[in-house]
Amino acid sequence: MTGLYIHSASAFIGKAHADEKLLKEELRKYTPDNFRRVNRFILLALIGARQCIHDHSIAGDTAVYLTTEYGNLSNTVTVLDEIYTAHSLPKPFSFINTMSNTAAFYLAQNLGIRGRSLTVSSQNLSFQRGIDLLMTDWSACSVTSALIGGVDVSSLSEAGGDDRNARGWQMVDGSGWFYVRTERKGACGVFRENRSFQDGATCRKWIRDRKEPFEDLVAFGPSIGEKEAAEWRTALPTTDEFDYLGQYGYCGSAAACGIGMFVKRFRGRSLLHIDRNQLGNYAVIEVEVF
Amino acid sequence: MKKGAFVTGKAMICSIGETPKEIVEAVRDQRIRMAHLSFPLAGLPYTRPYYLIMRNEEDRPENRSDGYFSKILFSTAAAAVNEAELSDDELKETHLFFGSTSMDVPVFEGNHRKTSASVSEIFLRSSNGYGKIASAVMERLGIRGCNYTFTTACTSSANAFLYAASMIGQGRIERALVIGYDLFNNLGFYGFEGLKSIAVTTYRPFDRHRDGLILGEACGAVVLEGRNRVASDFRFLGGANLCDIYSVTSHDEEGTTVAETMNRALARAGIDPGAIRAIKAHATGTENNDRTECAAMRLTFGKNLPPVTCVKPFIGHTVGACGVCELILFTESLKAGFIPSTPGFRDKDEECNLTPLMENEETGEGVFMLNYFGFGGNCTTLILSNKRGEE
Repeated sequence: MTGLYIHSASAFIGKAHADEKLLKEELRKYTPDNFRRVNRFILLALIGARQCIHDHSIAGDTAVYLTTEYGNLSNTVTVLDEIYTAHSLPKPFSFINTMSNTAAFYLAQNLGIRGRSLTVSSQNLSFQRGIDLLMTDWSACSVTSALIGGVDVSSLSEAGGDDRNARGWQMVDGSGWFYVRTERKGACGVFRENRSFQDGATCRKWIRDRKEPFEDLVAFGPSIGEKEAAEWRTALPTTDEFDYLGQYGYCGSAAACGIGMFVKRFRGRSLLHIDRNQLGNYAVIEVEVF
Repeated sequence: MKKGAFVTGKAMICSIGETPKEIVEAVRDQRIRMAHLSFPLAGLPYTRPYYLIMRNEEDRPENRSDGYFSKILFSTAAAAVNEAELSDDELKETHLFFGSTSMDVPVFEGNHRKTSASVSEIFLRSSNGYGKIASAVMERLGIRGCNYTFTTACTSSANAFLYAASMIGQGRIERALVIGYDLFNNLGFYGFEGLKSIAVTTYRPFDRHRDGLILGEACGAVVLEGRNRVASDFRFLGGANLCDIYSVTSHDEEGTTVAETMNRALARAGIDPGAIRAIKAHATGTENNDRTECAAMRLTFGKNLPPVTCVKPFIGHTVGACGVCELILFTESLKAGFIPSTPGFRDKDEECNLTPLMENEETGEGVFMLNYFGFGGNCTTLILSNKRGEE
């Protein structure tokens, strides 16, 4: 049990390569602030998190955990172009925004919160590792309310000409966020588990040996291939599947977006989310929506 | 019960040496090695100083291939693991905490030198996300634990250290390898020049005539464990991280959030400000940052400010790597019996009202504060101790 009570969740899914003006229009629905020196990644972070917070009042010492696979890479390409192609020094704010933690900063500034601020990544399991770090602060009581989210621009490394990746998933911009607190009162759900395993066998054993499996839906993260997903389906008592990748598309932060979408859509139900990284480490998240 | 987290192994390469022993000797003798690099891609008619790793021809920036960066990274990580004498089984159960600002940009630039393909073409081919480098270290060393890549600008590897130590303290993990890694790249060098942040000749933190930071490159790695291997191993007592929302590039000059970070770290460590033997300041040498940091130290320590040292004039501002690299330089100097001086400091700035150590100061055991700040409002403070008998 993590004690991470979800008080609100969001999943903003945007069309790949959509005009940034449209993103700014979307953001204006949630905040009157004008953001001039920001890029697509920062806009996505702001939209997802502001959608999540919506009309909740938020404590001043709320922490921000921004997880991402690729961060501000598109901005980095722009700055490299300024140096290598335009043969000039980078524009100051273009350079500063290559540092992806600026997105967490603009979010904290916009919300007026001064808690911890982290931007973290972990190949294929960024969101899960972000929860690990949040749990560390949670246990130490140094954080009692937090915004944790996953943000990625439609993946640079995988985008094909038709905006679909090799698995056929629509490439999208994604920003999925959760406002979590220690209090259960007023919560709409809870992260019941966030567990890591060195390999698939240990993960399967843990799932099999649980005394009270409760979830009624399963979701597979982007790194679980078709063949492996089929094996899981036969091994798990639960067969109902939430195919968020097929329904909403793929980005580096698909797991955060998919789980955010689940919390918004599936009241009274629970989800087992399974994913892995390229080294064969597995991670399981269990979410219950009240 | 809260466990300790001890630094049981370390390794580092930077402009003044490729082992902690070499680096400490250079620090003791104030031996500094600085290169002067030009901006050929932008056609600028001047150079700026840079603390470059320069052992042989292979180290020249124009000769560096993508393999060069992996070699430095893997060999530093392996040396830290060797010093901690980790068995294969222990290594397998280790977790990796990686902090960097440039990530794989140097690799991209290494590839770019070899081809005429467009920037975006090569970058898309070179980069597979921030977590890729940590995964490569895991694969190379046979580590099977979890890996965490921190990208919080200049506090990246300080935060990596903070979370690794906290997880060990809580008994969540037994052992961690923490890496700070930032090697020369044009993006950073040209980027900071674009901000007009680079000093023209000399690194002078807190000095009245300071005129900016001087970048440097380094890779440092430490092994953290729940028990010490030798009595002199440094122990992490506590730390804190907060976000100053004053500005994306600078902190509130009153130093309120920076001081709050220091105070929270002291509270986590369970000690009073008076217990701090010395402070390693972040001290970038920029106008605003130094003034803010001094104001924050005054807020925290009042009139009883312990000795303050700035180690960037030895190795440069190694951006995301500075958390781990300055920690190694500082703690290894303390182990050798001295608090390092601050080369370059000459004239006191009345606004800062602080004179850092100008000569090495002999010291024994003690509790020490290490401060780090960065773009995006990041503030991180670590408290470490080498007092014996408290483990």
